[in-house]
Amino acid sequence: MKKNAVSSGHRALTLRILRSSPTEGVAPHWQDFHLEEAEGMTLFIALNEVRETLDPALQFDFVCRAGICGSCGMLINGKPGLACRSLTRDLDPLITLAPLPVFELIGDLSVNTGKWMRGTAERLETWVHSSQEADLTALEAPMEPELAEAIYELDRCIECGCCVAGCGTLRMREEFVGAIGLNKIARFRLDPRDERSDDDFYQLIGDDTGVFGCMSLLACQDVCPKGLPLQTQIAFLRRKMVASGL
Amino acid sequence: MDSSFDSSGIARPLAPVRPLPEAAARSAQAVQVRTRKSRWPARLDLLQSASGLFLALFLVGHMFFVSSILISKEAFYAVARFFEGAYFLAEPRPWLVSGVVGVVLTVFVAHAWLAMRKFPANFRQYKVFAEHKAQLRHGDTGLWWIQLWTGFALFFLGTVHLYGMLTQPELIGPYESADRIWTGNMWPLYLLLLFAVEIHGSIGLYRLALKWGWLEGRDPAATRRRLRAAKTAFSVFFLGLGLASLLAYVQLGIAHADKAGERYVPQRASAVKLGELEFALSRRPGG
Amino acid sequence: MRIIYTDVLVVGGGLAGLRAAVGARRRGHDVIILSLVPPKRSHSAAAQGGMQASLGNTVKGEGDNEDVHFEDTVRGSDWGCDQDVARLFVHTAPQAVRELAAWGVPWNRIKAGDREVIMDGKRVTLTEGQAAHGLIAARDFGGTKKWRTCYVSDGTGHAMLYAVSDQAVAESIPVHERMEALALIHEGGRCHGAVVRNLVSGELTAYVAKATCIATGGFGRIYRVTSNAVINEGIGAAIALETGAACLGNMEAVQFHPTTIFPAGILVTEGCRGDGGLLKDAAGHRFMPDYEPEKKELASRDVVSRRMEEHIRAGHGVKSRFGEHLWLDITLLGAAHIDGKLREVKEICQHFLGIDPSRDLIPVRPAQHYSMGGIRTDARGHARGLKGLFACGEAACWDLHGFNRLGGNSVAETVVAGMIVGENMADFVESAAGELQVSTALVRECLDAEQAKLDTLLHGNGTESGAELMRRMQDIMTDKVGIFRTGELLHSAVEELQGLLVRSRRIGLRTRRPGANPELVTAYRVQKMLKLALCVAYGALQRTESRGAHFREDYPRRDDASWLKRTLATWHDDFQTLPTLDYEALDVTAMELPPGWRGYGARNAIEHPATAGRAAEISAIRSAFGHADRFTVQQALMPFDHLIPSRFRGRNARLGETS
Repeated sequence: MKKNAVSSGHRALTLRILRSSPTEGVAPHWQDFHLEEAEGMTLFIALNEVRETLDPALQFDFVCRAGICGSCGMLINGKPGLACRSLTRDLDPLITLAPLPVFELIGDLSVNTGKWMRGTAERLETWVHSSQEADLTALEAPMEPELAEAIYELDRCIECGCCVAGCGTLRMREEFVGAIGLNKIARFRLDPRDERSDDDFYQLIGDDTGVFGCMSLLACQDVCPKGLPLQTQIAFLRRKMVASGL
Repeated sequence: MDSSFDSSGIARPLAPVRPLPEAAARSAQAVQVRTRKSRWPARLDLLQSASGLFLALFLVGHMFFVSSILISKEAFYAVARFFEGAYFLAEPRPWLVSGVVGVVLTVFVAHAWLAMRKFPANFRQYKVFAEHKAQLRHGDTGLWWIQLWTGFALFFLGTVHLYGMLTQPELIGPYESADRIWTGNMWPLYLLLLFAVEIHGSIGLYRLALKWGWLEGRDPAATRRRLRAAKTAFSVFFLGLGLASLLAYVQLGIAHADKAGERYVPQRASAVKLGELEFALSRRPGG
Repeated sequence: MRIIYTDVLVVGGGLAGLRAAVGARRRGHDVIILSLVPPKRSHSAAAQGGMQASLGNTVKGEGDNEDVHFEDTVRGSDWGCDQDVARLFVHTAPQAVRELAAWGVPWNRIKAGDREVIMDGKRVTLTEGQAAHGLIAARDFGGTKKWRTCYVSDGTGHAMLYAVSDQAVAESIPVHERMEALALIHEGGRCHGAVVRNLVSGELTAYVAKATCIATGGFGRIYRVTSNAVINEGIGAAIALETGAACLGNMEAVQFHPTTIFPAGILVTEGCRGDGGLLKDAAGHRFMPDYEPEKKELASRDVVSRRMEEHIRAGHGVKSRFGEHLWLDITLLGAAHIDGKLREVKEICQHFLGIDPSRDLIPVRPAQHYSMGGIRTDARGHARGLKGLFACGEAACWDLHGFNRLGGNSVAETVVAGMIVGENMADFVESAAGELQVSTALVRECLDAEQAKLDTLLHGNGTESGAELMRRMQDIMTDKVGIFRTGELLHSAVEELQGLLVRSRRIGLRTRRPGANPELVTAYRVQKMLKLALCVAYGALQRTESRGAHFREDYPRRDDASWLKRTLATWHDDFQTLPTLDYEALDVTAMELPPGWRGYGARNAIEHPATAGRAAEISAIRSAFGHADRFTVQQALMPFDHLIPSRFRGRNARLGETS
């Protein structure tokens, strides 16, 4: 196989995947799959090829396969990232893939990010809190264009869980809200339609499971596939929450 | 909090969702009224940073003062006496140094106590972080691990040093210090302390800047790169300065070993040209 | 036997399903949402460019209103849509945008003063008025007379989905994730809920509901080359089809999006062209003006896709190792615009092509994008043939889009239909017809039937591979039921698909575990998807005309005389290999806008005999009303107010429009 691979000018790839099946009591173990690299191959393509030709039971999650839905976060050579947009040509021929930690393991590379994210949404009440119902037929309330763009900047989070998996603090203390939660608070704090005050936000994140738990390891910032300004937003929130708490 | 994670009801046996009976709903609401969150987490977080900043700044000053030995014995002698208030009091008062050391030691203990909250609380946390760090191979995560260990070391190294200065402030002087370091066998401890404190301090300052968003500027990523470079420069500079100073004390200590215990007496008080200093020195016993 | 009871069961956690759920919940009913994936991962998030609503805030949208949006939509549909529904939609769309604004969607806003834009390849200065400052902005999209597409950079669907999903959390609506409805529970023309499989444990549960709403999106994955997400397999539509009672409308109406990156098929938004991007061929020539002098790159999607393929056939494609493609040039928009308003496009180009779209051309070719067809409903979203079943969004054939959907109308449809269907479901649940009368015997029967099917797959001795059948089906659909269709190709597609359907009854599995088992999932889904594929191919074969996205080379003219009707497909028993097709005529005499030329594309339709009469009638009504306001005239032409849920009545305010 290797010979063929060389002669066709493509590399022979090995996907070393951390297999497991908690429902069947199969403990985590590494398994290697060999395949030939193709032009423009992403891990989405490679994993589907493994499933179609080598092991139909392999579990993984993809939805949009375009880097916008956040389903396919996994540890790629130990680092959290989106598999769908990882080109194999950017990686060594031996690629290790493991499920994201922290989240409940479903099996193989599939984890339950949805449950975690819903928990975060409920805990931090990540919706616009408004005391009055909007009049839908009236002109909308104006907003400064720059403010709208600034809110979108933080609204771009795709809840892929990479920052959660990359956070050493969260790995140690799973009750920590993580960068994703703090970014959500920063987003709603910025939004004038949300009537909550800093005191209200302090109630949600003003302790060591919230913003004060952050140890500024900044892996969140460095692994975020969307390049969200997590470092500056968390710093900003810390200043605001200290001011609110003092 | 656990209940909030559970309430999404994913992949669990599900009961039909029925509204609570009215009475139950009312009591549920009453429970929901939040008790106001403590302000202490905010204060403690600020105190941790503030104490760290104070210690780091103290460290910078301390390193410069100590390194005055590289200029001359007299220079160090002058600095030491300065902190005893020699230039504005009738005579040097070593307890002033004790006082300063006492403050530093208090802040030091407070900082240690505050920072300890961030330490792994049990072996599971320790192990999971160590694995995480090895897997992620991420710069700032690795730095924190270093900070953790240097901080841990400082509990002991720093305390020993500070306790010595607290109890024997008068024994700060060119010969006194050199004898302590060499003849008193303190140099291995000082060598470790030097590395621990400089590395801990520089990483700490770097992290402080990121944590509070100082100097973010228009391009925080570039600032972070610059801060990292500054952090490294800080470490290198103060380690160099510290090592050179330590070497100077060791050399002096070796040379002075046979007369260990002898106090330093300036040769020529007039070596230092400042009038006030001269005046002050002239009033020292034996000066 | 596990049974969960609820008032409203929503199958699908995308924008349409979520919004419908929120609506019903706010009316005080218990709602459960089922979703294959966490709702925020739904394919609604992939809608980039924007949502059409005639706010008319921007200077290029001045004079826009429901009437203009209505006409654009009907023309876009090639007169295939239900005009009542189009009216209902254009009326509610501005409210949807404003509701979303209140819920936190950070719509791009207008900045008063001058700004430079690219139009038709040239730099133009637009001046926005002071009064519009801070109101919701809009960009240009294909097939529209006004700039009407409200947007959030090029992450519109994402921002909308997150806002609505967060509202569902705020309303404490439970979302049961990784759950797949395998069959509808129904009897005597009344739907009672669904049999649902837990994709992790494999367990079956019956969800019994007064009202069931299918909002599972499109079925693009029956094609090999598609912009759709991997979960867009149309299972919601398929289980409705399998009831034998509900029917699927216009399944042959499949949209191909002009600009998906080649060869991956990942969408780059129509906003690229709306904002001034150009299509170019191998020689670097901008070819669209040669074909469409009026609308150029901004003709409707069916027209642009067809012109692109035509141009490639004429030998002007760029040759690459994967085949031929064309170029999308957005370099002229400048890096600042791309960084701000087209950043997803930029990221996609970087990650999947390794290029920077502010300097390089983007290789594009049309790919399957949208299913206009789906579960046929009435204007209230109630499924035809099955009481208690509702459908909304792409899964439905509410029939807003007819044979071609305008860009920006689908993401708008999701929320608008969700708003309307949510109210209508609540009405239904509150009515006598909504009372639940279902026997547990029926529920058990349905559960047992589904379990038996799964057991056959898991433990039977079938030898066929589900993945292989899936691949083959996708190839057939892309190669033979694509942009250009002929009787010959369609005929062979139908034959082959029938063969695959028969083979799909003998699928065997290598992995026999009942729980999380992707092979099992592929197996039962491909059985359902083949039925959808047959509805598409067979419907296309029967429709001997060209209308909107359905283009027959052997019948290139739109034939209103014979084909101004909607295809309805039903599947009565499991041993059929072809759907039963019926047709529902569109009533020209009731249309507000009778068939005519679209303003772009071919101009060769065969006229319906009633068209001229209706046109005369309309001009008579118009002249009779003289100077009456547009609402009065519209009311006289085609009254639709009775279809609007009471919450959404009332006139939409606009800048400079006194109501």
